[in-house]
Amino acid sequence: MSYLELSGLQKRYRDSVAVDDVSLSVEQGEAVALLGPSGCGKTTTLRMLAGLVDPDRGAILLDDTEITRLPAHRRNMGYVFQSYALFPHLTVARNVGFGLEERGIAKAEIARQVTEALALVRLAGLDGRRPRELSGGQQQRVALARALVIRPAVLLLDESLSNLDAKLRDTMRHEIRSIQRSLGITTLFVTHDQVEALTMCDRIAVMDRGRIAQIGSPEDIYERPATRFVAEFVGRANALPATRDAEGRAVLWGQALPVKAPARGAFDLFVRPQRMRIVPVSEPVADGMARVTGRVLRSVFVGDHVEVLFEGAGGQLTIETQSGTAALPEGTEVAVIWQARDTLPFARETP
Amino acid sequence: MTGTARLKLLVLPAALFVLAVYAWPTLGLFRNAFNETGPTGAMIEAWSLKTSQEVFSDGFTFELTLNSLWLSLSATLIALMLSYPVALFLFRTTSRFRGLLAVIAIMPMLISGVVRVFGWLAILGDRGLVNTLAQSLGLISTPIKLVFNWTGVTIGLAESIMPYMILALLAGFGQLDRTLEEASRSLGASPARTFWRVTLPLSLPALALAAGLGFVLSMSAYITPKLLGGGRVFVLATEIFEQATTNTNWPVASVLAIYTLLLLLLLLVASNIAAKGLQR
Repeated sequence: MSYLELSGLQKRYRDSVAVDDVSLSVEQGEAVALLGPSGCGKTTTLRMLAGLVDPDRGAILLDDTEITRLPAHRRNMGYVFQSYALFPHLTVARNVGFGLEERGIAKAEIARQVTEALALVRLAGLDGRRPRELSGGQQQRVALARALVIRPAVLLLDESLSNLDAKLRDTMRHEIRSIQRSLGITTLFVTHDQVEALTMCDRIAVMDRGRIAQIGSPEDIYERPATRFVAEFVGRANALPATRDAEGRAVLWGQALPVKAPARGAFDLFVRPQRMRIVPVSEPVADGMARVTGRVLRSVFVGDHVEVLFEGAGGQLTIETQSGTAALPEGTEVAVIWQARDTLPFARETP
Repeated sequence: MTGTARLKLLVLPAALFVLAVYAWPTLGLFRNAFNETGPTGAMIEAWSLKTSQEVFSDGFTFELTLNSLWLSLSATLIALMLSYPVALFLFRTTSRFRGLLAVIAIMPMLISGVVRVFGWLAILGDRGLVNTLAQSLGLISTPIKLVFNWTGVTIGLAESIMPYMILALLAGFGQLDRTLEEASRSLGASPARTFWRVTLPLSLPALALAAGLGFVLSMSAYITPKLLGGGRVFVLATEIFEQATTNTNWPVASVLAIYTLLLLLLLLVASNIAAKGLQR
């Protein structure tokens, strides 16, 4: 039995199912991301864990004890809210010490632990400030310290970085990850930002319309998406409508590729833009490589890479190449190649 | 003309209106307050403090002041305790009937004060709902006096200011965010502790605002003390009315009116300062 077990969790609202049969096992000390678009049920799942929402069905087990119906204040979950939810009428120190005061810990001990927690999130000396006197990043750190200081059974982070600007988000991402690792605290992280999920977590559960579409390591999710939804949601991908030939191979734009096509039904080939390379038309095709020919439509410099829009016989695709290489003039006839095993066929969704 | 100057023009109609129907009559009050009353009861034009001296050397003025303050305080506190849960519920509910419920809560505002008083007479009178019910249940043998005394006035006044206080509370609940209560719960505070440590402190500005409004309305209320008091309840507002109409002693009425105005002004300033202090 794992440290934290969610089994068959379900939550319905009036006319929709927010969470439908979510099961998940989390080991002690592990960081797991719930990744998905808004409305996929990830926040509702987190709130059920915290006891802020009652599940209609299913069970939550923590350390072999069922906590499904335990009221929120007896669960010992550290919840960091998207809006931080700092108490505006209390100082930073009182905010951080709130949970300790509720636990009836002696004043001197609270002061010691608050100081320690504030040092951990690098906010030492701001004890006397009010939340509104702090920047967004500092408020975030206070919220984190407040959740950590109670030594929670599980740390729950709800879109905690989404209100920060891009640069600060990078910093906080690494900081939270290193705090999480050094304390060895079991963490569940709700996010719609794949970079957050990929960089901060040991495992990712991708959620789609109330269900978990795939659970796996960041590499698994990115390299071997189990469903079309995961392939589309995590990372970028060219979705190329294809057909099959008599030998069961996928045919793209009239060219047969060394890729096995699904047995039946319409399908698309998914290929990541950065797995594709542009080569001269004259270059011979190596074994195990897929190849299409066409011309460069447009090159866009994006800083750390160049995006090339390419047009072939049957459509367009995007290739990411490293910057620094000479830009290809528009209209250049080129070939695009990629490893056949980097091609993922998924059935086309019927709307 | 600059944009702000043009913007200020928007206030002009209201300013002129207030000037005509409030500032001008108030100036008249000030003028009358310095007049004297002759032996026949006729007003004598003068510039003296004689009327003021008479009013403030009379112990009855002091009694009226205490009566008014005490009545307003008790009505405000009762109304506040009753309004707070209602306002909190209206602020929180996600029910689709929320709009309707809010209208119901402030509905008494739409009914004439006189009509409401007669409603209370039917409920609280000797043969009213409460006494009949209590008697038939055998709780009491003779009717308890609930109207034509301070009890009736306090009850009626508390009810009449409740809609205004509910609106004031709703307007003042700005900081009250459900997430803060969830944060408190997640940190180990029970619902009761959460109310005590988060909900109530964050409601204080709203409570101060509502209390200030309720108090001012109670101080200036006339119909309820007059009709539910049955001539036994004397407050500043009823006395001003008596002096102005029954006695046609305008100088005394003016002095009392200005005295009440200053008293209210003082209380408003104090409650504003208190509300600002609580908001910090």
